[in-house]
Amino acid sequence: MNDVVSAGKAPEGGPEGPPLLEIKGLRTFFYTESGVAKAVDGVDLDIAQGEVLGLVGESGSGKSVTALSILRLIPDPPGRIVEGEILYRGRDLLKLSWEEIRRIRGNDISMVFQEPMTSLNPVFTIGMQVMEVIQAHENVSRQEAHRRAVDILTEVGIPDPEQRMKQYPHHFSGGQRQRVMIAIALVLNPSLLIADEPTTALDVTIQAQILDLMLEMKERRAGASILLITHNLAVVAETCDRVAVMYGGKIQEVAPIDALFRTPFHPYTHGLLGSIPSVAGTKAKRLTVIPGSVPDIHQLPVGCKFVTRCPYAFEPCPDIEPPLIEEARGHWVRCHLYPHGGRPAVPPPGEPDKVRPT
Amino acid sequence: MSEPALVPEHVPPDLAASMAAPPTATVPALSESLFRKRLRKFRHIKRGYYSFIAIVAAYLISFMLPLLANNVALVVKHNGRYYFPLVTYYPASAFGQNAFGDPDYRALKQLFAKDGRGDWVLMPPIPYGPNEDLLDPTSAPPNRPSRAHFFGTDDRGRDVLVRLAYGFNISMTFALLVTIFADVTGIIIGSALGYFGGRTDIVGQRFIEIWSSLPFLYTIMIVSSVIVPIYLPGRMVFVQPSLWLLVIILAVFDWMGITYYIRGEFYREKAKDYVGAAIATGVSEPAIMFRHILPNALTPVVSFAPFEIVANISALVALDFLGFGLPAPTPSWGELIGQGMENLTIWWLVFYPLAFLFLTLLLVVFIGEAVREAFDPKEFSRLR
Repeated sequence: MNDVVSAGKAPEGGPEGPPLLEIKGLRTFFYTESGVAKAVDGVDLDIAQGEVLGLVGESGSGKSVTALSILRLIPDPPGRIVEGEILYRGRDLLKLSWEEIRRIRGNDISMVFQEPMTSLNPVFTIGMQVMEVIQAHENVSRQEAHRRAVDILTEVGIPDPEQRMKQYPHHFSGGQRQRVMIAIALVLNPSLLIADEPTTALDVTIQAQILDLMLEMKERRAGASILLITHNLAVVAETCDRVAVMYGGKIQEVAPIDALFRTPFHPYTHGLLGSIPSVAGTKAKRLTVIPGSVPDIHQLPVGCKFVTRCPYAFEPCPDIEPPLIEEARGHWVRCHLYPHGGRPAVPPPGEPDKVRPT
Repeated sequence: MSEPALVPEHVPPDLAASMAAPPTATVPALSESLFRKRLRKFRHIKRGYYSFIAIVAAYLISFMLPLLANNVALVVKHNGRYYFPLVTYYPASAFGQNAFGDPDYRALKQLFAKDGRGDWVLMPPIPYGPNEDLLDPTSAPPNRPSRAHFFGTDDRGRDVLVRLAYGFNISMTFALLVTIFADVTGIIIGSALGYFGGRTDIVGQRFIEIWSSLPFLYTIMIVSSVIVPIYLPGRMVFVQPSLWLLVIILAVFDWMGITYYIRGEFYREKAKDYVGAAIATGVSEPAIMFRHILPNALTPVVSFAPFEIVANISALVALDFLGFGLPAPTPSWGELIGQGMENLTIWWLVFYPLAFLFLTLLLVVFIGEAVREAFDPKEFSRLR
């Protein structure tokens, strides 16, 4: 079901050249006792050089599994990457040997996880953990590794790094640990940083700092890209160039950040945007809620994955999977409301009941 | 990152200064590792800590036993020359004794003292060897405790105290070696089962179950009666080959217990985020297993070690008691307890070996108890 092979391409006028990472028709399934969970079911996505791409979705939408699939970190069993291609600079990551993918990890593509409190090994000092990554990939002396560790910790804003390197993770706060995780991820200057909900576990006051830090580190590394996975649209609005919205293991909408927030196409994106509280209005407006809940991952609908909760669902939706089409320039959507080349038929969020296509 | 804070104008200047440049957090110079923290806790548990010091000191001293309790002189001065019989062997004739074989240094000492020609013999504080038959011309062994033999002699006239002291060294060495071999094997197998899981785990577990259900003591008896240790003549062997043989046999039947714990720890630890984070940064698989997970999984190994030592001391005693342990002249506790069993009325053959065994086991159990407590993360919730 490779709907459109080049789906999710960066908008024209964006960074030139071939994309840094191309995901084509990725399917990652989990074979569990209660059936096959199609966590990622045909994802096409490009990440251009130097771009910050947001991947948004609810829990269970497959966004983390997509990210883990890129570095082949899917636990097998029960998970398996069933088919697809993940081209990084033209090389298919899914065809590499374990040793080759090990060299990619941390060196070319690295990852920051959600939980800074548990992502560091409690029995080693911070310094050892930063230096380990350097020494795992490069044949450098201890002194050299130490010097570079001090440099990167200074860069991520750890005060007094020489001393702090001798300390154990339990001496660091959550925000500081996430800074250390970013330092570990970026010490070898990877060209792609995958950040899997990097601020979810942090205090609100720290979240902005960490996001700023990531963007600043990216700016200093020319051409580096970030894949930011989050369920927080506010985070996306602040940081990303482009957004992909995932639901039920599929990309539902891909758009440049302005387009997505100004003219969201997919009813699911409407729902997401409508559920953000705003302080702009004078009178308190009720937040719109997406009715129902995420369908069981083992029994996703045959047609559109959102059909069970969609207020606009009509005749073809339950049976036929809509293709991902480029509705506007660089703005892709997977929905029957948009016949290729047609006009958007969905009203802006907030007034859902006016238009009902037949 | 951190912009200088904007200070409102109505703020007093001194406060404004501190707001503009917030004080940097005081950083503790050295961070205490988990291991050091546990060590500190262990030291605070006095009973266990002093038991540990006592056992370690006794064990270290027991390596110097040839200097402390022996029938070979430390230094002999004879005809203006110095002899060191512990280093080089001298026949009896070297000192003018009219005999073959080993010189009788105690007799030599008395002889030199009587002659008064400036010759002398320096004997160890306890001048009796562990395998030396001290036959008393007036009565048949075993002889009751006397000034010469505080703990009496056994049924062949050997000094009980000296044999118990040498036996301590052998028991501890044996128990430590078995524990180390069994733990290393158990850790390697347990970590492989836990880390790889799946089919490896299922097959390995079943094998371990079958292996553990073998009747261990009978198997050892059969094996140790079939395999006869080979002595290499003329070689000073620090640890006898028969001891190694027993160590290996026991270790082969003793490694299963720890695999369950290591396997469980690996299952738990490998699911933790730091392992995923390490994999995602491209750390190799052996490094993940042994550098990242293993140190986090060692708690059961350390806290079980003292109790394993207790079990292994007891195992050696049991084997020696039954006569399937170390070969005959070796000073061993089990053999002495066996003699006590045969001569129940001779109290020093019953009481002293059992007292030594009991005291040693008690001290090691104290250590184990303290280690367990030092490793207990629930410091404030335990009942006292």
